[in-house]
Amino acid sequence: MIQQVTTTESDKAQDAPIAPPDHLVGKSCRRIDGKEKVTGTALYGADLFPNSAELFASVVRSQHAHANITAIDTTKALEVAGVLGVYTHADVGGTNIHGLIRRDHPALASKRVRYLGDAIAVVVAKTERAAKLGRDRVEVSYEPLPVIATMEQAIADGACKLYPEGNVMGDKRIRKGDVELALANSHVVVTDTFFTQTVDHAFLDIEAGTGHWDGQVLTLYVAGQWVHEERRLIALALGLPVEQIRIIQPVTGGAFGGREDISIQIYLGLAALKHQGKTIALRYTRSESMRARHKRHALKIESTFGAKADGTLTAARIVVHSDEGAYASTGIAVMRKAASHATGPYRVPNVEVDVYGVHTNNNPTGAMRGFGACQMAIAYEGMMDRIARALNMDREAFRRKNLIQSGDTVTTGQHVDPVSIGHCLSKAIAKFKERPYPGNDKLPDYMRRGWGMSAICFGLGYGDGFPDCSRARVEMNDDGTATVYTGGVEVGQGLLNTMMQIAGEDLGLPMEHMRIVAADTELTDESGSSSATRQTYFTGNAVRMAASELREQVLDIAGIKLKVHPHEITLQQGWAFETAKPDNRVSIQQICTEGLTRGYSLKATALFKPRTITEVPQTGQSPRAFITYLFGAHVSQVLVNMETGEVKVERHIAAHDVGKAVNPQSVEGQIVGGVAQGLGMALMEEVTYKDGRIMNPGLTDYIIPTIKDLPPVEAIIVEHDDPGGPFGAHGVGEPPLIGAVPAILSAIYDATGKAPCELPMNPERTWRLINDVRENDPLSKVF
Amino acid sequence: MFHQPMTFKQALELRSELGADATVINGGTDVVVAMNHGAIKPTCFLDLSGINAIRKIDRDNGHLILGAGVTFAQLGKLHVRTLKEASLSVGGPAIRNMGTIGGNIATASPAGDGCVALLALGADVQLSSKDRGQRWIPLVDYFIDYRKTALADDELIQAVRIPYNPRSRWYKIGKRGAVNISLVCCAVSQNEDKKTQLAFGCVGPIPRTAPKASALLNGETLSAELIDDVANLVAQEVSPIDDQRGSAAYRRAMCSTLTKRLLTQLMEDNPKGDADA
Repeated sequence: MIQQVTTTESDKAQDAPIAPPDHLVGKSCRRIDGKEKVTGTALYGADLFPNSAELFASVVRSQHAHANITAIDTTKALEVAGVLGVYTHADVGGTNIHGLIRRDHPALASKRVRYLGDAIAVVVAKTERAAKLGRDRVEVSYEPLPVIATMEQAIADGACKLYPEGNVMGDKRIRKGDVELALANSHVVVTDTFFTQTVDHAFLDIEAGTGHWDGQVLTLYVAGQWVHEERRLIALALGLPVEQIRIIQPVTGGAFGGREDISIQIYLGLAALKHQGKTIALRYTRSESMRARHKRHALKIESTFGAKADGTLTAARIVVHSDEGAYASTGIAVMRKAASHATGPYRVPNVEVDVYGVHTNNNPTGAMRGFGACQMAIAYEGMMDRIARALNMDREAFRRKNLIQSGDTVTTGQHVDPVSIGHCLSKAIAKFKERPYPGNDKLPDYMRRGWGMSAICFGLGYGDGFPDCSRARVEMNDDGTATVYTGGVEVGQGLLNTMMQIAGEDLGLPMEHMRIVAADTELTDESGSSSATRQTYFTGNAVRMAASELREQVLDIAGIKLKVHPHEITLQQGWAFETAKPDNRVSIQQICTEGLTRGYSLKATALFKPRTITEVPQTGQSPRAFITYLFGAHVSQVLVNMETGEVKVERHIAAHDVGKAVNPQSVEGQIVGGVAQGLGMALMEEVTYKDGRIMNPGLTDYIIPTIKDLPPVEAIIVEHDDPGGPFGAHGVGEPPLIGAVPAILSAIYDATGKAPCELPMNPERTWRLINDVRENDPLSKVF
Repeated sequence: MFHQPMTFKQALELRSELGADATVINGGTDVVVAMNHGAIKPTCFLDLSGINAIRKIDRDNGHLILGAGVTFAQLGKLHVRTLKEASLSVGGPAIRNMGTIGGNIATASPAGDGCVALLALGADVQLSSKDRGQRWIPLVDYFIDYRKTALADDELIQAVRIPYNPRSRWYKIGKRGAVNISLVCCAVSQNEDKKTQLAFGCVGPIPRTAPKASALLNGETLSAELIDDVANLVAQEVSPIDDQRGSAAYRRAMCSTLTKRLLTQLMEDNPKGDADA
């Protein structure tokens, strides 16, 4: 993706005064990709179709959630007019396997299918219609196996095994102190079980893209979240050297973790390799997208917390079962993140956490905004409300008594400094109290109002010793502009602006003189994934390091031109001038033209690679599990119809410490979006399965919020410089969703007097909670 | 083939000629969606959207005659409260600008909000054919079974007739604030001689009334005790099923709850039983 803003020449007149300094970091510079998106000229994956597609692909998927494949007959498909080829596992040149952490997911199944989204063949035809007709004519013979529809079935004695080693994929634990003793000595012990649901990413921009093989290079225009890793996975599966694969990210409409796993890339690559010289297009329908893609893990969280009479938390024992679905995806990392966030931002001296990942024949589960930390916040914040009530303490006061402070440790034993959770909570509650709380006075007897809060923490980056690094390159061009090259992927979150603003700040260039090239494996170096809330911190640091070095090169040349020491030079608005004598100046453009002519490189690359430390497996302890921690607090106010169970969120306040907001408007956008997605998770969104089949594979019945469901979100940006972040920034991506869900549940608890423990709290589930009607409850029934 | 007659007479001729082979379409908010999902693959269309005569709302002798092509957006401006609110609860503005009441009746979905409001209003529907002329039948007799109606292959829905000035209420439970499919919806209306009708959506194969419960109300002045009795009877009378949108138990309970809530509103807002202002 290449974005540039046209350079304006008028401001370069030699006699014009230099404009005052314009600090790009902290400024809501207009999104450079905004105009194209708003006017509809931006080209998303599906927009590439009419422009370039010559042939079309379609994917044959399993008819069974669990079965052995006994035969694949492509004869009838090949007879369809326009069908040029049907390709199966036998046509794949490499390992035919992908998977982000464990390589366990066949690109095209050969012997066995483990969920209904498993792909079996790729059909290539002259038209999309013919490709789909051909798809429907591929005959696959199956020997059905018992479908493992629930975690309970998966771990039952004698259950059919999805894998030779069994259905338990793995476990993660925390052991700290003596939980048994501490619970025995507690004044109150509170226990409850939480069920979180399967959630779909529901991004607008359904998987679509093109592939082309010219005999030398396989070029894929497909949206992912980590183009360099995707290239490695495609190379392995297809048996091509990585340097023969080029991935270019088209404009991308949302990801939320849903593009971390491989989607259409390998099918497109295979089709392109078989049809040299032709551009192949493939796009899913919404239904296929939902049936094929991984989901957010549904968790069963059994929580026991103890506290002293004065409200001091003593111990926590937490057992988690996680529905991993058919393949591992990022499940192991999600389990680890769940374990390390099990007690949130609270001081709990004695902790036992056991997280078990269990395979079923549901869709694989993997990355989604919040990544395990989100589900655990629902449980620990739910427990904070329950314990406060058991002790008859104010919910805020109880939390404050137990929140960690700067220098304290989180559950994994890592010291965190600074800790701003108390400040975030104060800000959110102060904002809430700016307006009088209307209470229940003027409501009819069947309506109840309530408000609630949440306090959450989030470890940034992959953590746990997993290699995590970003590279960046910044170059001066001979027209005086600078280009940032990053492998980081813009998925809508604002990465392009963030990187340009960080580099422009150091180079003293206005936004109009900045360009960026992102997410093209040919032109950019690896910058890790756009996930884990990591790009601002990781790639932002790499960009800052490269820009700082480049600044030194520019200053060197400026020093020669201005005949002063580089220390005495200011870079501002495209000019270099002697700080004490601004008339002694030279334009950056002139420095670049001359510098490049004289052989200066005027480019700099940087690697940012901080290290985290793998946890001790037996205890889950690590002095540095995560590179840094983010904090946030929410307050939500709801109105509940006690007769029908309908819940309306009336106000929602979200305060997040982002270190430093590089682009405040983008940060607010992330907060509002996270709250919207959190509201959906709290109240509406739920993938429902029946024997492994998704019953609501479309946006008619997979309900996501509309603008009418969302109150004006009151976003509060809190800034405590992160000592390790670029200009003190660390990031904002995931925490707003994590904080939103438990705050809404807390408000429902306050309104109804009943503590929610199942998601989503749609009208029926809220009605069941209010009326203690538990039978037929789908979540209780499945586990 | 795409036929777009400009008069209703031409439409009837085409309908007579083409019969069931032609998919009748107006706003397309049901037909086009079904096509996109691959549920139907029509080869021939009879498009009524060019006929201005069926887009009108007329007043006739204490009744409103709604042309089959009247949109939900138009209905959203009516004073008949249950139909106005039901119409405004359909889809979003774009759907309401295109979707028509005739289409809602033709589709005959149990979740058809417009149908439920019309049933409570005791609407009659006018079915017309080239050879057999026009007939008015009560809407309640029009719905036969799941997506099965009294409309013959040579007939088109021409209009709907409702009382001009009933007192009425509407409530729809869905999972979100807009573009919202009913989990359960309830409409109630009472005319000047206190004839009261209850109707429900999503509690059976068709949009339905509750004749036994409604009969208890007829001619009676509303009281808390009567309302309780009616609400209890409603719960016995409806026959919802479990599906992935909601359980039968919840829907049954909600029919009762909404009946009670809406009748209570009718009683409290206007104890003397006057028509809505």
